[in-house]
Amino acid sequence: MKLGMWLRRRQKERDLREELEFHLSEEADAREAAGLPPDEARAAARRELGNVTLLQEDTRALWTWTLLEQFAQDARYALRMLARNRTVSAFAVLSLAMGIGAGTAIYSFMDAILLRELPIADPASLVEISWRAKPIERTNGQRQFVLHGIDGRMDEDESGAHARIFPFAAVEPLRQAAAPVLSGLFTYFPSGRMNILINGDAELADVEYVSGGFFQGLRVSPAAGRAIEPGDDRPGAPPVVVFSHGYAERRFGGAAKAVGQPILVNNLPFTVAGVAPPEFFGVDPGAAPAVYLAQSMDSMLDPDAQARSVNRNYYWIGMMGRLRPGVTREQAEAAMAPTFANWVAPTAGNDRERANLPQLRVDAAGRGLDSLRLKYAKPLYVLLAMVGLILAIACANMANLLLARAAARRREIAVRLSIGAGRLRLIRQLLTESLVLAALSAALGIVIAVAGIRLLTVLLANGDPGFTLHADLNPRVLAVAIAVSALCGTLFGLVPAIRSTRLTLVPALKNIDLMPRMRLQQALVVAQVALLSLLLVAAGLLTRTLANLQSVPLGFNPGGVLLFQLNAPQAGYPVSGVAGFYDNLRRRFAEIPGVRAATLSHSSLVKAGRSYSLLADGAPANGTRFLQTGPGFFSAMQIPILQGREIDERDRAGSLPAAVISDLFARTYFPDRNPLGRHIQVRSRFSMDLEVVGVAAEARYGGLKGTNPPVVYAPYAQLPTRELQQMVFALRTDGDPLRLVPAVRAVVHDADARVPVTNVVTERDEIDRTMNQEIVLARLCTAFAIVALAIACVGLYGTLAYGVARRTREIGIRIALGARRGAVVWMVLRDVCVLAAIGLAISVPIARGTSQFIASFLFGTTPNDPRAIAFAAATLFAAALAAGYGPARRASRIDPTTALRNE
Amino acid sequence: MSPKSPSRVDLFRGTLDLLILRTLLPGPSHGHAIARHIQRTSEDLLQIETGSLYPALYRLEAAGWVTASWEKSEKGKRARYYRLTALGRKQLASEHSKWEAFARAMRLLLNPGSDKA
Repeated sequence: MKLGMWLRRRQKERDLREELEFHLSEEADAREAAGLPPDEARAAARRELGNVTLLQEDTRALWTWTLLEQFAQDARYALRMLARNRTVSAFAVLSLAMGIGAGTAIYSFMDAILLRELPIADPASLVEISWRAKPIERTNGQRQFVLHGIDGRMDEDESGAHARIFPFAAVEPLRQAAAPVLSGLFTYFPSGRMNILINGDAELADVEYVSGGFFQGLRVSPAAGRAIEPGDDRPGAPPVVVFSHGYAERRFGGAAKAVGQPILVNNLPFTVAGVAPPEFFGVDPGAAPAVYLAQSMDSMLDPDAQARSVNRNYYWIGMMGRLRPGVTREQAEAAMAPTFANWVAPTAGNDRERANLPQLRVDAAGRGLDSLRLKYAKPLYVLLAMVGLILAIACANMANLLLARAAARRREIAVRLSIGAGRLRLIRQLLTESLVLAALSAALGIVIAVAGIRLLTVLLANGDPGFTLHADLNPRVLAVAIAVSALCGTLFGLVPAIRSTRLTLVPALKNIDLMPRMRLQQALVVAQVALLSLLLVAAGLLTRTLANLQSVPLGFNPGGVLLFQLNAPQAGYPVSGVAGFYDNLRRRFAEIPGVRAATLSHSSLVKAGRSYSLLADGAPANGTRFLQTGPGFFSAMQIPILQGREIDERDRAGSLPAAVISDLFARTYFPDRNPLGRHIQVRSRFSMDLEVVGVAAEARYGGLKGTNPPVVYAPYAQLPTRELQQMVFALRTDGDPLRLVPAVRAVVHDADARVPVTNVVTERDEIDRTMNQEIVLARLCTAFAIVALAIACVGLYGTLAYGVARRTREIGIRIALGARRGAVVWMVLRDVCVLAAIGLAISVPIARGTSQFIASFLFGTTPNDPRAIAFAAATLFAAALAAGYGPARRASRIDPTTALRNE
Repeated sequence: MSPKSPSRVDLFRGTLDLLILRTLLPGPSHGHAIARHIQRTSEDLLQIETGSLYPALYRLEAAGWVTASWEKSEKGKRARYYRLTALGRKQLASEHSKWEAFARAMRLLLNPGSDKA
């Protein structure tokens, strides 16, 4: 294509030459015929022809590729100019590329989380049903609200409560009310992980119960077999499942191979009826279930299902629907809200509940549920804002570089203008240079973005096996990256280009510096400093937050502890034998060489959360947490026992039920009394009396933030067997805990192959995961601040070096007149400090205002922490002085005689 | 400088295109012959500069109003011959009538009352 153009173009050039040659000879012939001698005729003809080169140029201008050719020429010239100042160009390109790369990587995550729609037909007509209520009041920790129990998510803040889950009994009335406005209302319920056994291989997988209308309503057709259909809602329907495409491939090696296969779900037989299409990930981009079950199957799989379904104060099921054509979201809401109001009113048990009833809403759901958005949107916005700051700093550098270069080329540009170059043409050429810079940066930036996306995926997931977020460089992300680069190139090339072509020619030609003010450069440096100090403040705050979190006293020793989870009842182990099964395993784990102690609890300490209603000697102890523990828990976790004894082998089924309480519990509910021998009454899903046998020192329970709750530790062996579900084993080991994983798996496989070993992690990693967001933010923000610092320092250095070079003569005179070297150094450094101080003065109020946005990410520090601002100021001045020292030293070494002779 | 007669008329913008098209109406011709024809027919009032002629020819070719091909001239040399296309004829007709109207308007304005007919 390009070659063809070039060949055609050569042909045209030849044609034109030959044609002019012909014209010349015709003209000469004519003049000869008129009587002139041949050579004179020829000369006259040539005179007549005029300027052949100009003629050729004019003709060529008609061949449209001139513009393109000039661009190519400009681009080549620009590359030569860049190559001449290799270091400066490399740094400008690198700094802009880092800005673009980091921005693109972060933006691609935002794209994946915030902008991408569900991969289904017509996402715009999909709606979800939710409710909103006024802020929920609590008395003694008890909600004054119709929602008494919940399985799912409810968001509460000062503005009120909001959730998208309902009692099951509300579904049918709402389905009828929705019939005129929605074409089908379907339900879903993520039920957590279940044990999926295929050909003797057990594995836990995320399961979602869906109603028969789910796939139909989403208009998702199966990749193989059939979907869950309305027929599956009938009682007595055959037990079938639908696999996600990825899961079918992983477990059966392909969608088609999975269909019709028998599997065991929590040890009950099911058949794989079909496989969802590869792009479909469910309705929540953050959940991505592997297995879909008909809602009606929950009565088989879950003993609590019946109670859950009839309880009108228990909220758990989600609903979605499709708007009928022509129906708006508001109309649908108006049609359904009164029905729900009527339904929910009688479920209120008292006047306070009646005063704040939930109100139904219909929301757009084309982008799927927003659990991911809620989790990652805010940190991503913060990161994007930081990247924006870096990009701005890099752009300021670029503009400074171009300004300095334009100043250095004043003479060249003046020469070109004076011999007749068009100003527009020159601007175009200078602009091409900055665009070439931007293009190089964009190319490099995209490479950085690819690496950045991988890095961010690893950082955000931080070992979480359920991490489903998939970001990539799609055309939209690329388009944004390229647009940003082009914008930077144009914006920061245009000003210097216009300025440098607006010259007073004569002085410029004579190379007399009319001292064009450096104000623009200085303003750019001040802006850089201001932006940089914002980043430094943020980095300081986030780093402090991380340090504060890491220094939270745990109360137990996390070093060398291996954690993993087993769930025997789910795998079909007979309920009556579960306690014995776990105890047997604990003994066998303790015998593995390298294991110093083995214990278990129903949840690991940092992830624990179960709260029961308890009474302490008859007085309600609300907000108390309840941890099922095995023998030796306190010694294995190295939690000191303050009074009495720890839970041990004596505490087994049949002996007197015992409990160890936390120090806080003892101080709160048994003040001034000896807690030993007191009684704790469990009044929850079961009733039981426990005698306090020990008091344990405070150990961090359920996350590192917030206040530690009072805790009751009870031996699992003495609890009703149906309370026993999963157990987290903790092995204290010598050396690297992960070394023992194969031995652990072998022991479990040997005991019962149906039970999978899951959530294998070291205690330290698990703690790190709870502060994942803080770690990621602190690390990234520190990295960003360092990058920005480097970029801004180079900008500062460049501006100062340029300033010193221009003041060579003045400084030479000062030195000749007796100025001391130290004074000269100080003179230059004073300039730097003034610029830094102005930048800082501008940014401090801005930092105080904007750091509110990251307040929710902070722990143990406040947005206005003066220490963070002082840290930023100190770093800034240190960097400014470091950047200024080189030019200052050079200024002090100026030799007056050379400096003065120079001009 | 080339000999310029003082009575030489400067061409209006766009007129050259019209003149070239008109010159090609009877049949194909090469660049030199076109220039000669315009000069001779206008009784030397219009002299076409080579510097404008060839760019104009290429412009007309690019617009699709003329086509060019290499042929033997009457003296047996290879010359680039231009001929009108159908599009060129249409363009000529429209430019011609525009020019007529313009010339009439000028005549009316410059010699009021002399063009009653």
